[in-house]
Amino acid sequence: MQCGAVVEDRVFRALADPSRRAIFESLSTGEAAVKELTARFSISQPAISQHLATLTEAGLVTGRREGRCVYYRVDPQGMKPLLDWVAHYRAFWTERLDRLEKLLENMDQ
Amino acid sequence: MTPFDKTAPSQTEAIHFEFELRHPPEKVWRALTNPVLLSEWLLPVLNQRLEAGAEFMFQAPAQPGWDGTVNCRYLEIEKEKKLSWAWVVGEIDTVVTFTLTPTESGTKLTLVQSGFKPNQQQNFGGARYGWNMMGGKLIDLLGRIS
Repeated sequence: MQCGAVVEDRVFRALADPSRRAIFESLSTGEAAVKELTARFSISQPAISQHLATLTEAGLVTGRREGRCVYYRVDPQGMKPLLDWVAHYRAFWTERLDRLEKLLENMDQ
Repeated sequence: MTPFDKTAPSQTEAIHFEFELRHPPEKVWRALTNPVLLSEWLLPVLNQRLEAGAEFMFQAPAQPGWDGTVNCRYLEIEKEKKLSWAWVVGEIDTVVTFTLTPTESGTKLTLVQSGFKPNQQQNFGGARYGWNMMGGKLIDLLGRIS
C-alpha cells in the first residue's frame, strides 16, 4: 500500500473542499476565466482565485494567460494520484477477500 | 460554507465488492471480528476490541514514506449484519464497511470503501463533511478527462 505521499495529500486536500470540487467539476466541462467562474458560482473573485491557486498547486488545474485574462482548465494528469490510489485499493481488497474465502474454507476443521 | 454545492450523495463507489460465500453469516462474522482470524486474512491487527468507538490498528509492512500503520476506529457494529470502521492512512481518511446478508447457500458479503477525504483531526468524530469522492459524478468526470 503506497499511501500518504505528499502529492496525494495535496490532491485529496484540494478536492475535499466542496467549493473547490464544484469549481473543478465545472472546469471539466471546458476552459473558463476567473470572471466566468465568479458569475457561475456567485462567490467573490478573490475567493475563486484562491481556490484556483490551490487547485493549480495540487496539479489539478492549469492556467493559460491571454491578454489580461487567465483561462483555467483541468489537467487530466492531476487526477492520476487518485486513480492510482483507487486502483491500489481495488487490488488490495481483491487479494485479501480471496484470502478470506480460503480462510473460511479451512475454519472449524 | 458552500451555497452552490448541491451534489447529491451518491450510492456508487469505486471500491465496491459483492460476493457470495458458502458459509453462514455467523461464521463470516467471526472471520471479520476475531483478531486471530482477521490477522490471518487481512493484516496483523493490534489492540482490537469489538466495540463502537474503540480504536485499533492494522500493521502492514513498512514502505518508504509510510510506516505501514493503518489507524482504525469502529463506527458501526451490528452483529452478523454490518460492520464498519474508519480506515486512516497518513492524512487520508476513509471508511470500510462490510454488510452480511443471509442467503439460501450462505452469505452475501459486500465491502465498500468510501469517504476519501483528508483527515480533519479537529473534526474527528464530529461534523464529518462526507465526501463521496467516488460518487458517480466524479467517476463520470474521470471518464471524461482521462
